[in-house]
Amino acid sequence: MLRMQNLSKVYRTHMIETHALRGFEIEVKQGEFVTVTGPSGSGKTSFLNIAGLLEDFTSGEYILDGVNVKGLDDNARSRLRNEKLGFIFQGFNLIPDLSLYDNVDVPLRYRGFNAAERKERITEALTKVGLASRMKHFPAELSGGQQQRVAIARALAGSPKLLLADEPTGNLDTQMARGVMELLEEINAEGTTILMVTHDPELAQRSQRNVHIIDGQVSDLVRKSPTLVAKEA
Amino acid sequence: MFQYYFMLGVRSLRRNPALTALMVLILAVGVAASVSTLTILHVMSGDPYPDKSERMIVPMVDNGPIEGYTPGDERNDNQASYRDAVNFLNSKQGDRRTALYGVAGSVEPERSDIGVFTAEGLAPTRDFFDIFEVPFMYGQAWSASEDKDATDVIVLSRKLSEKLYGSENPVGKRIKLMNNSYLITGVINNWRPVPRVHRIIGGPGAFGDEDEFFIPFSSAIRHETQHNGSMNCTSYRDPGWQSLLDSECTWIQVWFELHSASARGDFQNWLDAYSAEQRKLGRLKRNAPNVQFNLMEWLEHLKVVGKDSRISAWLAFGFLVLCLVNTIGLLLAKFSVRAPEIGVRRALGASRKEIFTQFLIESAVVGLVGGVLGLLLALASLTLIGKSSEQLAIVTHMDWLMLGVTFVMSVSAAILAGLLPTWRACQVTPAMQLKSQ
Repeated sequence: MLRMQNLSKVYRTHMIETHALRGFEIEVKQGEFVTVTGPSGSGKTSFLNIAGLLEDFTSGEYILDGVNVKGLDDNARSRLRNEKLGFIFQGFNLIPDLSLYDNVDVPLRYRGFNAAERKERITEALTKVGLASRMKHFPAELSGGQQQRVAIARALAGSPKLLLADEPTGNLDTQMARGVMELLEEINAEGTTILMVTHDPELAQRSQRNVHIIDGQVSDLVRKSPTLVAKEA
Repeated sequence: MFQYYFMLGVRSLRRNPALTALMVLILAVGVAASVSTLTILHVMSGDPYPDKSERMIVPMVDNGPIEGYTPGDERNDNQASYRDAVNFLNSKQGDRRTALYGVAGSVEPERSDIGVFTAEGLAPTRDFFDIFEVPFMYGQAWSASEDKDATDVIVLSRKLSEKLYGSENPVGKRIKLMNNSYLITGVINNWRPVPRVHRIIGGPGAFGDEDEFFIPFSSAIRHETQHNGSMNCTSYRDPGWQSLLDSECTWIQVWFELHSASARGDFQNWLDAYSAEQRKLGRLKRNAPNVQFNLMEWLEHLKVVGKDSRISAWLAFGFLVLCLVNTIGLLLAKFSVRAPEIGVRRALGASRKEIFTQFLIESAVVGLVGGVLGLLLALASLTLIGKSSEQLAIVTHMDWLMLGVTFVMSVSAAILAGLLPTWRACQVTPAMQLKSQ
């Protein structure tokens, strides 16, 4: 699904060079639920941004679902992002003056679906996260957990192959976080690959595989979760 | 996607309503100022005879004195002498031709309740009514034979007819004017060509009042009717009417209607031949180039659209530019707070091009609303300007073209103002915005 080889990311200013990722290697297979952990400044977010085609990388190779993304122009990257990826952010990032329906509609508009198909997908996605009855509401009328569910619905509506989640439970209380995590596990069980950055060791434990990043490199602490081991067996 | 972006644009008007209202108002004021001056300019420089203006011709020979003349100097005058006017009328050139000069005199009404009053009119030939497409309410123009015989016939304006005869058809009645009795052959309907191309020199001018009556040129000459308008005499002449007719004083305007615009070449040849023939008779000693103007060239030549009007239009455009600069600032402020939304849209698959289109359409929506308000302001200001004088009232009418111009100008101005803020919006780095929320 996703493969990065010898990938590096350097931020340059006229004074200093910062190596966010160096010799970065990772492969995520179709259907995996991978968590990414690491201390602050280790390069987790840079990795996720590059994986999500939101940032370019400096050198190396990145293959996303069989497509070598190096050298793609903005249009091609945007199309790839729209078709293959879904995003879930810590801050939910819903558009405040759009209703839940219209928020979920955003990626579908860029995909070019017709009105009937968009409606069907939006209803299905909001039903899945349990918010179909509130589709005319606005984000400010919902709790944090509900807002994150809408964000998940928005990410799912386009049927992405890879879901990228950046601390999706970071702004939620324990109960809400558990609910969101269960939803993500359910989505993964249906076949969607999930790559999730988290600080929470408990959540990392729940994934099939945890990748630990230190100083812009995948550390030796890569661990397969018992679930995945059992599955492979 | 256009519909989607348009809908987002309409919704975005509700976001920051105070800022939006300010932008719309600034744009509307700028557009209204430009459209008002442009409307006046447009009407003033309009073509009242678009179907035939290219073949409506004013011929010009320079009969000024040779003394003090250097080749290349300006022509003596823009009117013709009586001799040239009569020769032009007898030339048989073009399909129609007329000579005309302004006249004025006292009207002695039959009705006892109306006292003697002065009326202003015109002395043309019958072709005048056809060349200038004068509409008739009653009767018709006089005949060619009445022109030839210098018969005392008259065509009244509707206004004068109603003043003297009410709603009655006065054709066939006689009217006492300038101590002569004229037979009424027709009454013209309301006729306000803008500009009044046949009356630019002398008289009430290009945007002045309509003529109250028309008498045959030949009849006016026979009665030695003094001209009411501008006259240019460059040398001494003896007193008396015949002396005026024999002089080189210029006081008559001549118009030809050619069969087609392409006939101008032949007409020029004839004009040059006429000029050469007159030189042989001892006239037109300057040997200056003979010229002809079609209607629009004539308006341009006489600078019907004054310098003041052009300067006003430029000043109004300058004001619009100032408004645009302000709108740019306000749009920058409006769009800068949208950076998080741009980040989200980029993450969800919007390319830079799509963000650019969305925000440009949002700017256009602001322009559209500004256009509606600008149109109302322009109509109000034109009404106010029109009320300040009767002459201005004629040129303060907005037509469909100017209505379209208002919206095109407003939307284009908003799009222009939106270019920089939109470009800035496209430069938003999604990764930074998404993390910083």
